[in-house]
Amino acid sequence: MYFLTDEERKQLLKSYLPKSRQMDIADELRGWNWNQPPLEPVYDIKLALYEIANSYCPTNRDLFLRRIDGVKARPNAAMLRGKLLHQVLVDVLVRAKKLIYLHGVGNYQEFLQEHKIPFKTNFERYRSQLSEEEFSSLARDAEILANFETSRIVARIQEILIKQPYIAEDSLVSLAIPVVVEQKLDGSFLGLSQNLSADAFTFSEPMIIDLKFGEPKKFHRLTTTGYALVMEAIHEFPVNLGCLVYAEFKNGRLSVKKDIHIIDDELRQWFIEERDEKMRMIYEEIDPGIAQNCYDTCPYYRNCLG
Amino acid sequence: MIKLRVTDVKQYIYCPRIIYFTYVCPVEKKITRKMEYGKEEHLELDRLEKRRTFKRYSLSEGERRFHQYLRSERLGLEGKLDMHIVSEGEYFPVEFKHTRKGPSLNHKYQLVSYAMLLEDYYNKPVRYGFLYIIPEKTPYPIQITPNARIFVKDVLEKIREIILKERIPRPNQHKGRCTDCEYRNYCGDVS
Repeated sequence: MYFLTDEERKQLLKSYLPKSRQMDIADELRGWNWNQPPLEPVYDIKLALYEIANSYCPTNRDLFLRRIDGVKARPNAAMLRGKLLHQVLVDVLVRAKKLIYLHGVGNYQEFLQEHKIPFKTNFERYRSQLSEEEFSSLARDAEILANFETSRIVARIQEILIKQPYIAEDSLVSLAIPVVVEQKLDGSFLGLSQNLSADAFTFSEPMIIDLKFGEPKKFHRLTTTGYALVMEAIHEFPVNLGCLVYAEFKNGRLSVKKDIHIIDDELRQWFIEERDEKMRMIYEEIDPGIAQNCYDTCPYYRNCLG
Repeated sequence: MIKLRVTDVKQYIYCPRIIYFTYVCPVEKKITRKMEYGKEEHLELDRLEKRRTFKRYSLSEGERRFHQYLRSERLGLEGKLDMHIVSEGEYFPVEFKHTRKGPSLNHKYQLVSYAMLLEDYYNKPVRYGFLYIIPEKTPYPIQITPNARIFVKDVLEKIREIILKERIPRPNQHKGRCTDCEYRNYCGDVS
């Protein structure tokens, strides 16, 4: 899911990468300037990154209810599904890395044998939170996802092994699976939680990757932007690229689309503005009011509309 | 639609309260020496620019057009652009700035606004513009990206909202900007 196709790689190398390097990002919008306006947080509050980046509720009343009224809503089916499918992908990628280290390059046949064993994630404890139909659809899609990713990793490993006869485990892992999944980040410099977790991060060219299982939304780019700012604040190197991976299951088939984007001045300003507005709403306890166009699967639907 | 000027975009990004003091609660502002000095430098630069080649803009040839008044009904925006270059069928807006700090965000979006007006004027897309920093004698190329265009439209909307709702925006976080501000005396909650 996180590996680019040949066309995407070409797009990245010929278009996004040179553009992102040429583009002058205003220094005040670089994460390492977190200690001065506009990045310096105005309020002494810590928000989760998703609380800033998500704008599914048009007035952000979901955030107000959670943070001020202390309402704990149960995640809806789409949220739960997203969470579990994310976990499947993490499990597959981490298992592959573990097996390479465990068996070593010399025993790669054993690795291939073991890696090909179908991956099963146990979702049983979530069964009660989903309808029977939702549960079986989730199990089916999880299997498709795991199989797809497993075969892709095997292909990548074999491709590297035929080219590099003297390669050792560590190098093989970094070439075949060049992503860090669930990268933990401390966002406190920017007024964010100190326990942030980015879906994936590629280190050859710093790029934040975020996986989505729902409809594309404009504000999804705020997630990659937020993580980029945090990484810049922590490591003091520029992070100019983001990539949203949209996965969809149709008739038993997985389709993947990627939105590679430059984390430009505009996205950075949008993120900071969202952060400041939401922090102010919480700090001043301003109820933003009920939206006019609520979606009926919103976990806070009952709290707002009874 | 409320008609706005390109300088409003620049001012809003510098501090949204300037919009309030310009349109909602107009007050007399003081012309600073810096502003006068800027005008004089502009005139001198106009004179010199006419004789220069296009090398510093990385263009082989072209034609300079000065102080073009631009207006777009669609955007509800108008302004007078310092200069623009017409070269091989492409159009490049140029804004002269007297600053020692290099291009800033408010200058960038002023240029993007002019680029959008230029697009409407010539009915052709504009890919790049230049911020000419006078003390450095350097033109900085600025790419006119789709996101930058959207950003300018959002800013125009926000400016109109301030005017329509007659609500004073929050004070600026950049306290340094208040020191030189011509409206400083009217901002009661800014120390």
